[in-house]
Amino acid sequence: MKKRGLWWIFGPVVIAFVLVGALFLAPFSLNHFSKKDVRDASVSFSKNVYKGETMKTAAFSDTSKRYVPFFGSSELLRLDTMHPSMLANKYHRNYQPFLLGQAGTESLLHYLSMQEMLPALHKKQVVFVISQQWFVKKHANGAFPIFYSPLQTVDWLRNIKQISPTDRYVAGQLLKQPQIKDNGLYAKMVTKISENQPLSGADLSVLAVRHRMLLREDELFSNFSSSKNWRKYVRPAMAKLPARDDNGALFKEATKIAQSETTNNPFKIKDSFYRSRIQMSLKRLAGSQTKFDYRQSVEYADFQAVLAEFARQHTDVLFVIQPVNQRWAKYTGLSDKMYYQSVDKVKKQLTSQGFNQIADLSHDGAENYFMQDTIHLGWNGWVTADEKIKPFMAKGYKPTNYHINNNYLSKDWQNLMPTPENLQQFK
Amino acid sequence: MLNLQPYADPKYFVFLLLALAPLAIGLYFGKRFVWYEVVVSLAFIILMFDGKKYHEGFAIIGYMIWQWLLVWGYTLYRQKANRGSVFYVATALAILPLFLVKLAPAAHWTHVSTLLGFMGISYLTFRSVGMILETRDGSIKSFDPWLFLRFMLFMPTISSGPIDRYRRFTKDITTVPTREKYLEMLEKAVWYFFLGFLYKFVLAYIFGTLLLPQVESFALAAGSIHHGWTWWLIPVMYSYGLDLFFDFAGYSLFAVATSYVMGIALPMNFDKPFLSKNLKEFWNRWHMTLSFWFRDYIFMRLVFLMMKKKWFKSKVTVSNLAYIANMLIMGFWHGITWYYITYGLFHGVGLVINDAWLRYKKKHHVPHNKFTEGLAIFITFNVVMVSFLLFSGFLDKLWFKP
Repeated sequence: MKKRGLWWIFGPVVIAFVLVGALFLAPFSLNHFSKKDVRDASVSFSKNVYKGETMKTAAFSDTSKRYVPFFGSSELLRLDTMHPSMLANKYHRNYQPFLLGQAGTESLLHYLSMQEMLPALHKKQVVFVISQQWFVKKHANGAFPIFYSPLQTVDWLRNIKQISPTDRYVAGQLLKQPQIKDNGLYAKMVTKISENQPLSGADLSVLAVRHRMLLREDELFSNFSSSKNWRKYVRPAMAKLPARDDNGALFKEATKIAQSETTNNPFKIKDSFYRSRIQMSLKRLAGSQTKFDYRQSVEYADFQAVLAEFARQHTDVLFVIQPVNQRWAKYTGLSDKMYYQSVDKVKKQLTSQGFNQIADLSHDGAENYFMQDTIHLGWNGWVTADEKIKPFMAKGYKPTNYHINNNYLSKDWQNLMPTPENLQQFK
Repeated sequence: MLNLQPYADPKYFVFLLLALAPLAIGLYFGKRFVWYEVVVSLAFIILMFDGKKYHEGFAIIGYMIWQWLLVWGYTLYRQKANRGSVFYVATALAILPLFLVKLAPAAHWTHVSTLLGFMGISYLTFRSVGMILETRDGSIKSFDPWLFLRFMLFMPTISSGPIDRYRRFTKDITTVPTREKYLEMLEKAVWYFFLGFLYKFVLAYIFGTLLLPQVESFALAAGSIHHGWTWWLIPVMYSYGLDLFFDFAGYSLFAVATSYVMGIALPMNFDKPFLSKNLKEFWNRWHMTLSFWFRDYIFMRLVFLMMKKKWFKSKVTVSNLAYIANMLIMGFWHGITWYYITYGLFHGVGLVINDAWLRYKKKHHVPHNKFTEGLAIFITFNVVMVSFLLFSGFLDKLWFKP
């Protein structure tokens, strides 16, 4: 046997490290996204896209098409014929939604995700769909680990120029999450922010290295996500939509489609949803939501962080407030009064700070074919939302005039019981 | 304060290998820098038990003094006399701290756990008890306090083995391997490190961190409606079992690789256990240093004792009883809970059945071909996986602690 020297043993290791090092330090980008890749990503709901920076950067710097962030949650997944992505594509509007969010993405996650795309927010337009279901007493903790990425924390820390009350609040929230709490490096820096101490030069250089590595990782894995949603949902919808971009025609078509798809239940819920999610446990669900309460929640403060970021970036935002399916709400005993009080609380938080562009659909939940299922917009609901979205986008970016009130981060606001007097008095 | 848990993250390997580099260069040139090795080992042990774990640090110091006095005392005694009772007392005293720590959770003695417990207490106990047994046999004749400490506190293996033997270890640590031998060890070390990375940071991550929590939550949700029985238990079983293997085998590879770098040929812990054709073979391939320890120091000794005292006529009865006792003790050692003990019993009974089958096979003409071998591997693998489901404690959570 040939005698093996040191090089024979360690050579491969050295080469491996050199190759990995080169991969991370190479001065050129590791991916190239075609127009089609970006288009597919815009309706992919991929976790990699939401958690990462690479695809967002590619989409929002696309010169051939104006991708506009649509933040939201599970309603965005309802890719039916009247969905904003379909309408924008069909009628060659001056924008195309880039959908950010799915079941479980709430304000704090959006806030973090936004840190990776500040250029797309700065003096730009955005649509933000709110669900009252976010505003529960206790957040279900399941979503955070799924949609969180360290890159978000690194970007956020690097974006802090002067520590604001929002930063301190977000730091406190992050320190409650094991992903940050149990990571020595981030925990130390986030704790500094929560204690109003600026990061040192050394911290920032560590973050710069981290950013480079995480971004490379993000670039590498962005190459592996592909989605068939465009081909499966958007393409077929093009044939069904009326030729002319006209609301009357859209409503007519939406009603026609909805009628054929809501035949097996009295709640006017889409048949397939009813069959797979409700039918089995219908009896058990009667009266099941009488105790639901969206009026006091830490989510109000998380939402405030999002608003503060919009204000900082002078983002021109349209908020859409989603209704609930009234027939279903009656059956499950969801309190109307509670629901509208929580809507009022959100609206007070918006309007008192100058966020006046609100598509408030909360009173439309009883309309026929407005909701696709129990809590998600569908057919006519999307067309109604479009009546606000279309002119908002058509007018283009308009300068903003927001005045942030940090009291909305407080426990007092989170726990305020929203009666008309209480809301009026809160300052 | 910096606290480093062995092999927990990439950072650890960077520190470890940088610290060991001078030692490795020395070994390459035929020199063992004993003092350097001791200082580096101590530093890593201190970093393991500092910060929030300081009470474990005190516990291990107290524990070491206890064992040191015990083994020293017993060796001195053994040089003069050899009474069985003294041997039993010495063994019992060596096991006592571990026994108390294992009893503590079941008896709700939290102060005992904080006072005496530290990571690795089991493995240190195996080493010292092994020394007492071999001193009783006369294979270890004298007590070298310095070598005792280096054996007990051998840094790469302090937290979870593999369990080395004193005489084997001292032979390695007091000599320097030839350059040819050392290069072979380095080559294996590189291979083991990278195989370990694949096992622990890729495969165990997939099974343990990505899959297991998912399927466990599905099983808990489904189990709450169907009286604790659900098909989800099957994916829970496989993902737990595979996570257990890749995590522990990965760890063991790191420990072996590290000690190879230090010029110590530590024994391996796993040898493709899931290719075993029967349960007996499985225990010769799974957590080998532990099962060999149990085989040599418990099973064999029980068999000899029962034969010598002629408690039973039949050899089969003797070995069957020894199997069950051996595995039950292993079960108790894992922890005093119903599922660990059932796990031990399961394997004890499994080995008895296995033996009966092997005897039957010898007497009768059972066909033997590639297919039956494949079938045997399949059955053994699945029997083991069922036992790991028991071992996981998940059934306890599913059935008794909803």
